[in-house]
Amino acid sequence: MIKTENLSHLYSEGTPFQTTAIEDINIHIPKGDYVGVIGHTGSGKSTLIAHFNAILKPTSGKIFIDGQDLWSADKKTRIQTRFDVGLVFQYPEHQLFEETVYKDISFGPKNMGLPEYEIHKRVDKALDFVGLDRALLDKSPFDLSGGQKRRVAIAGVMALEPKVLILDEPAAGLDPRGRDEILSRIRDYHRETKSTVLLVSHSMEDVSRNANSILVMNKGRCVMHDSVPAVFERAEDLVGMGLDVPKITRVFISLREKGYPVSPNVYTVEQGKDELMKLLRKGGEAND
Amino acid sequence: MIKDITLGQYFPGESFMHKMDPRMKLILTLFYVVSLFLVPDFWGFAIVGALMLLIIIFSGISLKVVLRGLKPLMFIILFTAFFNVLYGGGEPLFPEIGWLSWLKAEGVRNALFMIVRIILLILGTSYLTYTTSPVMLTDAMERLLRPLKAFKLPVHELAMMMTIALRFIPTLIDETDKIINAQKARGADFETGNIFRRAKALIPILIPLLISAFRRAEELADAMECRCYHGGEGRTRYKVYSFGWRDFLALALMVTVIGAIILLMIF
Repeated sequence: MIKTENLSHLYSEGTPFQTTAIEDINIHIPKGDYVGVIGHTGSGKSTLIAHFNAILKPTSGKIFIDGQDLWSADKKTRIQTRFDVGLVFQYPEHQLFEETVYKDISFGPKNMGLPEYEIHKRVDKALDFVGLDRALLDKSPFDLSGGQKRRVAIAGVMALEPKVLILDEPAAGLDPRGRDEILSRIRDYHRETKSTVLLVSHSMEDVSRNANSILVMNKGRCVMHDSVPAVFERAEDLVGMGLDVPKITRVFISLREKGYPVSPNVYTVEQGKDELMKLLRKGGEAND
Repeated sequence: MIKDITLGQYFPGESFMHKMDPRMKLILTLFYVVSLFLVPDFWGFAIVGALMLLIIIFSGISLKVVLRGLKPLMFIILFTAFFNVLYGGGEPLFPEIGWLSWLKAEGVRNALFMIVRIILLILGTSYLTYTTSPVMLTDAMERLLRPLKAFKLPVHELAMMMTIALRFIPTLIDETDKIINAQKARGADFETGNIFRRAKALIPILIPLLISAFRRAEELADAMECRCYHGGEGRTRYKVYSFGWRDFLALALMVTVIGAIILLMIF
């Protein structure tokens, strides 16, 4: 679905401010995967994903979407790519501009040139997806609360019905309830539509609970790209990069250090519960 | 990307130019601009050009960067040159070729004169901002204008407004970039269509930008009040400027250049 070959991007090339944002990225993301992208602030996560829908042009290297080389194709293909690969930026509520919520959500579908009834249908669906009340449709997006604005902005991308959905820290700055809700809706969407989802986050907890595989960025390079258990097996490397492993994983690492026969690959509370139940059934004794 | 515009940007450094007193740099830039307009012929430009060369060498900023900054202004430069060619008088350059009769010697000379003048003008003023941080620049301005306080001119307030405006240019450019990308991700098209369509396409950028500018202004006002800002009265300086040998050397050089140009004007 998404493939990159030696993808690199420099900012302010040729000036004293030149910085390497990402370097030599070779990844392959299969169709229908749910990938968590994690890394420190400034590790190149956001730069990387902005390449996937042709918003940033690579300094060198290639990007293939569905086997199509984006930057050797014509402009039309790239515009189409923007609809196929929906990208929700960080703090998307800062992009709202229309007079009403309805108009703002329909901005994308309108750009696609869809007929009015189809736009209407999509706005409706997108609204359901983010869990917003229909009564808000005629309100100004600027009168809404922060959490509601965020949802309207996400709905604006969902209305494109993209084959690949990329979200950059969709839960940043939301309260825990709003966060869980948005993340669970994305998970449902992934299950129902079998679409490819990329979730950028620096919360290991969010990523491990939702994604199938994890892509770890560090200093502009992709240092790991593997299934969730395989990445967490290298928990120490993650800590070395200044990334945190989920709290539950840390608990189980310490349990193992204390000699309890538990699996080291626990990264959700549910798994933790199962592991503990297993241990208790066995008698709950530490090996000496 | 709009980020690549170098005009008015500051490049931190430790060069001769960077270490000069910003007040002196400001005054000398003023002299430089005046001298450019006094220049009577191409010999004068040779002198100013030599000075510019020294500035470039002693600023540690490569000419390549600066020339890239000139690129967006190429249109204005060529536009000016074009009209100078059209309105020039004198003898046709190629009298034997009929359709080139509008190409007259004086027009071409005027056009070249203008091109050199504009480029030197931009280079000189660019190097002021390249080597002086915005804060230092407004600081210097405030101090140079201080005598005008006697005429009830709110010098400090003006300087503060300017500092804030300069400080927020990169922030707003960043913000614009982000908004453009976000709207592009929703399929906004800024590049095709006639001028009205393109103007309309800017609305999805301008409205969020305006709103965020207001939001930032409010936040900044709050933050300043929280730190007890109450205007210039009784405010002391963290950085106290004083003229050093570099400044006097530069002044001497500038005076020499102006003297040479005046000599050129007389003879």
